[in-house]
Amino acid sequence: MLSYIIKRVFQIAITFFLFLCLSYLLMEAMPGDFGQVFLDDPSLTAEQREALRAGLGLDRPPHERFLIYLGNLATGDMGISFTYYPQPVSDILLERAPRTIMLFLTATIVSFYVGFFAGKILAWRRGGATEYVTTVGGVMMYTVFTPWFALLMMWLFASNQGFDLLPLGKFIRPELWRDAPVTTNEVFNPMLLTMIIVSAGLFALIVGTRRLAIQQRNFIRLGGVTVLLAGAAVYWLTSGIGFYALDIAYHLILPIMTLTLINFAGTMLLTRNSMLETLREDYIATARAKGLPDNVIRDKHAARNALLPVVTSFVFSLAFAFSGGIITENVFSWPGMGAAFLEAAQTQDVPLVMGTLVIIGLLAMLAHLAADILYAFLDPRIRYA
Amino acid sequence: MLRKRFMSVFAPLLVVCLLIAACAAPEETAQDEEPAAEPAAEEETAPDAPPEEETGEEAPAEEEAPAEEEAPEGSEEGGSTTAGGDTYRIGIFSDLTTLNYWNYLGPDSTVWNGYFQSPQRISLTNLSDVDFQLYPSAVEALPERPLEQEGEFWVSELTLREGITWSDGTPFTASDVAFTFNTAIELRLPGNWTSYVDPNFYDRVEAVDDRTVKFYFTQEPGLAVYEYGGLNLVGIMSEAYWSPIVEGATGAVDGLGDPPGEDASEEEQTEYQEGLTEALNELFQHEPNGEPLAGPFTFGRWETGAFAENSAHDGYFEAGTTETIYADGSYVRTSADGDEFTVGEAASEPTSEYAIGPNVSSAIYTLYSDQNAAILALQDGEIDFMLNSLGLQRGLQQQLETADGVQVLENQTNGFRYLSFNTRKAPMDDVAFRQAVAVLIDKEFVTNQVLQGAAFPLYTFVPEGNAFWYTDDVPKLGLKEDGTALTRVERMEEATRILTEAGYSWEGGEEPTYNEDNDQIEVSGPLLLPDGSPVPPMNMLAPAPSYDPLRSTFATWIEQYLTEFGIPVTAELTGFNVIVERVFEQQDFDMYILGWSLGIFPDHLRDFFHSERAVPGDNNAGAYSNPEYDELSDQIKSCTDLNECQEISVELQQYLAEEVPYVLLFDTGIVEAYRTEALAYPYEEALGGLQYVQGIPDIVEVK
Repeated sequence: MLSYIIKRVFQIAITFFLFLCLSYLLMEAMPGDFGQVFLDDPSLTAEQREALRAGLGLDRPPHERFLIYLGNLATGDMGISFTYYPQPVSDILLERAPRTIMLFLTATIVSFYVGFFAGKILAWRRGGATEYVTTVGGVMMYTVFTPWFALLMMWLFASNQGFDLLPLGKFIRPELWRDAPVTTNEVFNPMLLTMIIVSAGLFALIVGTRRLAIQQRNFIRLGGVTVLLAGAAVYWLTSGIGFYALDIAYHLILPIMTLTLINFAGTMLLTRNSMLETLREDYIATARAKGLPDNVIRDKHAARNALLPVVTSFVFSLAFAFSGGIITENVFSWPGMGAAFLEAAQTQDVPLVMGTLVIIGLLAMLAHLAADILYAFLDPRIRYA
Repeated sequence: MLRKRFMSVFAPLLVVCLLIAACAAPEETAQDEEPAAEPAAEEETAPDAPPEEETGEEAPAEEEAPAEEEAPEGSEEGGSTTAGGDTYRIGIFSDLTTLNYWNYLGPDSTVWNGYFQSPQRISLTNLSDVDFQLYPSAVEALPERPLEQEGEFWVSELTLREGITWSDGTPFTASDVAFTFNTAIELRLPGNWTSYVDPNFYDRVEAVDDRTVKFYFTQEPGLAVYEYGGLNLVGIMSEAYWSPIVEGATGAVDGLGDPPGEDASEEEQTEYQEGLTEALNELFQHEPNGEPLAGPFTFGRWETGAFAENSAHDGYFEAGTTETIYADGSYVRTSADGDEFTVGEAASEPTSEYAIGPNVSSAIYTLYSDQNAAILALQDGEIDFMLNSLGLQRGLQQQLETADGVQVLENQTNGFRYLSFNTRKAPMDDVAFRQAVAVLIDKEFVTNQVLQGAAFPLYTFVPEGNAFWYTDDVPKLGLKEDGTALTRVERMEEATRILTEAGYSWEGGEEPTYNEDNDQIEVSGPLLLPDGSPVPPMNMLAPAPSYDPLRSTFATWIEQYLTEFGIPVTAELTGFNVIVERVFEQQDFDMYILGWSLGIFPDHLRDFFHSERAVPGDNNAGAYSNPEYDELSDQIKSCTDLNECQEISVELQQYLAEEVPYVLLFDTGIVEAYRTEALAYPYEEALGGLQYVQGIPDIVEVK
C-alpha cells in the first residue's frame, strides 16, 4: 500500500506540473493582457502605460513570466494580484476560501445525503410512480440552466413578489454588520471549525459504536450527539458573535437549497443504479430467504455495498467544494473562490487565476488519491500492489 | 427501528434548534444590541437642516431606538455613528480593490474605487453639478491668469478657504496640499498621477503659510493641466497621517539611485522599473486605518465581498452651501456664510436650487455580483439606487419601468462609439474616401429602424450634454442643412460626387445607380483608386454580438452599405481583447469600431488625434496626422483662458468633422433607476447619468 501511495504521489506531481503548464499556456493564449485596462484612460501616453505594464511584469515574455511564476510557487509565493494590486494572491484566497468552503461543503453534504437517501428508496421501490416522478424531476433539476434556476429561487423565496422568506443573495446584511466588532471571516472561520468538529465527532461516534449492542450503541450515540451539539451551542452562546453567525447561516439557506436541488439527482441516480446491481446479488436473495425485514436488507445489506461509487463521487465533489461554483457564487453574490476566479479570468489577472487553479488542481488530485485509498478501506476485495 | 427513525428526524431538528437558540442575540451585550436596532432615528442632522427636522413625524417608531454613541471621527469606527433610516443604500457590481487613494489614482484605478473614495476627498477646484462649470472649492478664488514668472519658473499662489478641517478636527493646511503634489512629483507616481500632476509642467509646490500654497511650473500650464487638471482632479491627502508612509517609500526610491538614461540597456531599465515598483508598493500596500478625510464623507467600514460604508462628515466645509442653476446654464454658488461665486449672467429662471449636505448619515455600497439580483433588490427596497458606469441593460429597463415606486432615468452618456480608419493605408489615407464612407453609413436608419431607438446617431466629438464645450456648428456628413437625414439615393449621389471629384471611378466606367425595383444600389464594378488600381479588400474589426450587439449590428450594416457601393469591406466580429490587441498594439487593421468614454475638459481632442500619439500602445491607432491639427490641438492643452479654450475646442471639432479620422456612429443613453419613495435627487438630468457624479451622495435626500 505504501509503495502504491508513493507511486501515486509521484504521478500526481507530474500531472500537477502538466496541469500548471497547460493552465498558464491557456491564460497566455488569450488575446491581450491585463495591461489593456490602462487604455481606459486616454490621457495616459504609451510610455506611461508601458511603465504600468512593466510594474506588473507584463513587459517580460510569457515563458520568462512562467519560469518566474514556477520559481515563486515553489517557495509558496503565488504572486501579487493585478486586480487587487498589490495584494498577495495567497491573502485573497485565504480570505475567500472559508466562505466558499462553508457554502459548498454544506451544500455537498446535504445534496449527497438527500441524493443517497432518495436513490436508495427509488431502487427499492422500482417501477412505482414515485420512481418516475422523482427520476424525471431529479433529471430536470440536474440539467436545469443554473443561473435561471438560481434567479427563480431568489424570486420565489427571497423577493417580495414571492414568499419573501429569505435574503436576496449576499452573505451578510450590511445594516447588521456595519457596527459589528468582528470581520466576516472572524465568524466564518469558527463556524467552519464548529462544523468540522461536530461532523468529525458524529463520524467518530458512528464508527466507534457500530460494533456495540444496539441499546448501548443508541444510548452512546444519543449522548454523544447531545454533548457535541450542546458544546457547539455553549461556544456560540458565549462567543458574543452568535448573532452574526446566525445572519450568515440565514444567508446560507437559499444557495444551499438551490445547490441541493440541482445536485442531488446525480447522487440519487448513481445510488439507484448501484443499488439495483447490488439487489441482484445472491447475498441479497439469501438475506430475504433468512426472513430479514425489508429495511434491514435495504439499509444494511444493499445500501452499504452500493456505497462505493457514491463515496468516490462524494470525495471528488468535496475537492471541488473548495473551488466553489462560478455561477452560484455570482448569482447569489457570494464572494468566494468561484467569484474570484471569474473576476480574475475576465480581467486576465493571471496570478489570481493561477492561484485558484493551483488550489483546485491540488485538491482534485489529492481527492483522487484519497478515493483510491478509501476504495481499499471500504472494499476489502481491493488490494493495491 | 422506530427509535432510529425518530432519531434521524429529531437529531437534525435538535441541531437547528440548539444553534438558533445559541445564536440568538444576547440582550446584555452592547455589540449585538446595536445591529438589532433597525433603522434608528436620525441622530446626525445635516448642518444646514433646521433643528425641528430632527424630531420630524416621519418615523415615530424609530425614535424609540436607542441613540448610539458617537465614535471618534475619522477612525475606523467613526463611520457608523448612526444606523438610521437616512442611509443612502446603493448597489454596486464589483468590489472595491483598495482604500488607499495613492493606489486608486495609481495602478489600482477602478470606477468602483472612484465611486467610494471620491466623496471622501476634496480638491482645490471643482466642477459644478449639471453643467460642469469650474469653481474654486478649497481655495478662495480660481488662479489668476496669466501666471507670474519667477526666474525659470511660472508660479501661481492660491489661498485656501478658512475653516476647512480634517475629520479628526485638525486644520486642513497648505502643507497638506504641498505634500500631496510633491509626493506625486518626487516619487514619480504612475497611472493617473502622471496625467493629473503632469511632470512636464509641475516642478514643485510650496506651503507659504498655513493657508497659502504656491505652485511652481517649468512651463506655463493651460487650464487643462492646472485648473481642470491637478487642482480639480487631485484629492488632497493628510500630511500628518501619510508622511511616515511616504517617507518609507521615498527612502526606498532614493535607494535606487538616478533613473537610467535613455541610452541605458533594456536590462538596466527593467531592473530599475522593477525596483521602483517594489519601492512604491510600500506606499500602495498601506491600507489606511483612521486616515483623516476632508470630503463630505469619511470612511466607515469595508467588509470585502459584501459592502462598504461611508459616513457623513459633520465638519464638511461645504455643508450649507447653496447651488442655483439657471436655464441659460449660468450658475451661482452661495456658501453658508453668504459668499457667492457666479458663472455667467444668472439672469434667467433658476432651474434648480439645492443645498450641499451631506443630507444622509451614511452611504452603504452593497455588492451584487449579478445585475438581475440587484434589480430584485431594488424592487424589494433593499437598495435605493445602483451605480454602474454602463447603466442598466435594456431588458432590465423594461422590467423596472413597470415596477412600483421605481423611477427609470435615461441620460446622455459622455462618450461615443466610432468607426476608425488606418490612415497609414490607401484609400483610408484619403479624406475624400473617409467622407464618402461617412455619407454612405445611414446612422439614422440603423439607430431608429434596426436598433429601434436603443441608440442615437452622433455627429460631434463633444457630446451635446457637455454643454459648454459642445458645438453644433460642424459639417454633418449624411445630414441635409435642415438637419434631416439624406435618403438612400441622396447618400449614393453625394458619395459618388465626393469620390469622382477626388479621382475615383468604378470598374466598367459607370457610376453607381439606384435600382428602385429591387431597392439596391448597382455598380458596374469595384471602386478604383485615382491611379486606376482597384481598392484593396479591407477588414473592419468590430465587437462580437456577445460583447456589444449594437456595434456588431452597425458593423454588418456598414459592410453592406460599402460593399454594395463597390468598396470591398468585410466585417470581422471578434472579441474585444482581440480588437484592442490588433488595433492598439499591433496596429494590424484597416478599420475598426470601438468606443470611448470622455472627460469634461475636451483635451481628448488632442489625446486621440495628435500625431505624436500614433505610436504602438497609444490612442491614435489610426495614425491620423495633420500638422495644422497638431498645432491647434497643442493649444487645447496650453490655453489659459476659458473662452479661448472653447474656441480652440470648436475649431478642433470642425477639423475632425471635416477630415473624418473617425466616423462617429452612435451612443446609447445611460439607463439608471432609483426608488422614488426612498430618495429625492435635486436633479435627474446629468451627462453620464447620476453615476457620473457618484450618485451625488452629498446632496441626495433620503425620505
